[in-house]
Order: sequence, then C-alpha cells, then structure tokens
Amino acid sequence: MNVPLLPMLLLAGAATAWSATPRELAQSYTAEASRLIPGFQGSAQRGAEFYARRFAVSSHLPACSACHTDSPARIGRHAVTGKTIQPLSPSAVATRFSDPAKVEKWFRRNCTEVLGRECSAAEKADFIAFATEGT
Amino acid sequence: MNKILVWDLPVRLGHWLMVAGFALAWVTGESERWRLVHVFAGSTVMAVAAYRLLWGLIGSRHARFADFVRGPVQALGYLRQLLHRSPPHYTGHNPAAGWAILLLLALALASGASGWATYQELGGDWIEEAHELFAGLMLIIVGVHLLGVLLGSVAHRENLVWSMVTGRKQGRPEEALTRPGLLAALSMLAWTGLAVWWLAR
Repeated sequence: MNVPLLPMLLLAGAATAWSATPRELAQSYTAEASRLIPGFQGSAQRGAEFYARRFAVSSHLPACSACHTDSPARIGRHAVTGKTIQPLSPSAVATRFSDPAKVEKWFRRNCTEVLGRECSAAEKADFIAFATEGT
Repeated sequence: MNKILVWDLPVRLGHWLMVAGFALAWVTGESERWRLVHVFAGSTVMAVAAYRLLWGLIGSRHARFADFVRGPVQALGYLRQLLHRSPPHYTGHNPAAGWAILLLLALALASGASGWATYQELGGDWIEEAHELFAGLMLIIVGVHLLGVLLGSVAHRENLVWSMVTGRKQGRPEEALTRPGLLAALSMLAWTGLAVWWLAR
C-alpha cells in the first residue's frame, strides 16, 4: 500500500474524534511495519512476550505488566500513584484502541518511559493483537 | 523616587510558589514515574491561584485587583508606549501586566481543575485534552509575561525580577506598604498545604 494510512488516521483523529476499530488500528500499524519488514504480520504471541518483558529501564515501571497486571483483561494499578487503571482489552472496555490519536499518545508516553525509546509499528501491531485476543 | 515596599509577602511567596509549581508540573507532565510530583506541583499552582483571588480583594494596596486591573484600551496603550520605549512608570502592576496576571490566574485554575478531574477520573478524554490545552496556553502567557518583565525592566532601569524577591520597587514614600504581610503569608502556606493534601489524594 502506498497511501500512508496511519498518518492520515492520526490527522483525522486530531481533527475530529475519529473512531476506528482495534482491527483497523492493528491493520494500519501492520501496513506501516510491513514497509520495513516485508510480509510482516502482527502476532499475539510476540505481543504477549513484549507485554511481559522486563525492560528495567525504569525501576518503578520495569514492564507493561508493572501497572497493567499479567493480563490486559484485568484492572490495573498504577505502580507509583496506586490509582486503578481500566483494563486494556476491548473485551473489558469497549472504547480501547478506538481512538488513533489517543492510542498514539499513550504508546509514545509509555514506551518512552518503560522501554527508553518509542515503540516500532511492529511492536504496536503485536501489542494490539495480544490485547485484543479473544475479542 | 525611592525604593519602597510594594509587594507584600503573600504576593512574592505566592509568585515564586507558582513559578516553581508550574515549572515542575511542566517537566513532569509526560511522565508516569513522576506523576505524583506532577499532581503535587499542579495542586500547589492551583491552590496559590485560588488564594491570590481572595488576596486580590482583601489584600494589601498593590495586591488588589482594583489597584491594577484596567480596561483593554489602557493595556494596549501601555504596550504601544512600551514598544516606543516611553512607558509611564507604575508603582504597582502596569495595565498590561494586570491582564497577564488575570490570564495566568484563570489558566492556573482551569488547568488545575481539569488536571484534578483527570486524576480523579471524573470525565472523559476531552477533560485530559482540555488540561493539555490550558497548560499549553499558560506556558505561552508565561512567555509573554517574561518578555514584558524584560522590556519593563529595561525601560525603567529597574530590576523587576529582583523586586519580586525583595518586594522593593521605585515609588513615592506615601505609596509604600506599612506591613509586610507575615500573617497572611503564613495563612497562605497553611491553605496551600491543606488544599494540596486534599487535591492530590
């Protein structure tokens, strides 16, 4: 695909409260990733490994699971403030992964802090595949 | 003209608390690791701004809104004179500074309230976005305020930043404050402590 779908989605998301389905979001990340990795397909299995991996860049926030628990379907707890965090799975909270701008914002914030860098499109596609598994 | 006491303790202490709070809240705004620091810093800014509203009504002479809040025509007129390097000297805040102060207080309360609502999960995503908008606007007004302080300091050959530290500024002896406002400063600190404790829960 030649059309830069994700930037267009983001632009639309910024201008209006653009809504997408988790599948559409995963597809646009997959399309972006496949430009670097020919034939790339999102994998819930890789997403699960990524989710559980201890990056240990931050001692307070070593991994996704530090706040979001071992399962994205469960209610999380902020490792610093103790505030509850609604589950990431669309099966638990229907609005998850439906707003491209919001998804990009939180990937950017949380990846920068937990991984020490931004996440790649491939990692995002895998993450969504894992978080939406069974929905 | 002599150096007289113009800014009382609550004005000065409140000013520097807002400076520290806003700076700290800004640099921690993108981080979950520093989220609690962000919440405490932002709550401090909001609590001080709320106290300043009251102090603008019952405070000392140059702290009162009636002393320095003027219409937009006067504020624009002052800015024009400032650009022509011939601004009239005001002992208290000049008319343009008055607008910066009102905007900064309004934005401090708006960003504080929307930040608090976000932290307590009282609203949708739009409150979070409003919070970012208010904070961004506040940073812009802070920049304009700093530029005004720089231009005013040069125009009047008066270090306005240092005036906000010592409280002393050029003025006529009869315009001087007679009391430093120690009790009011202590009550402001007590209020801020209480408000921050409640807001950041």
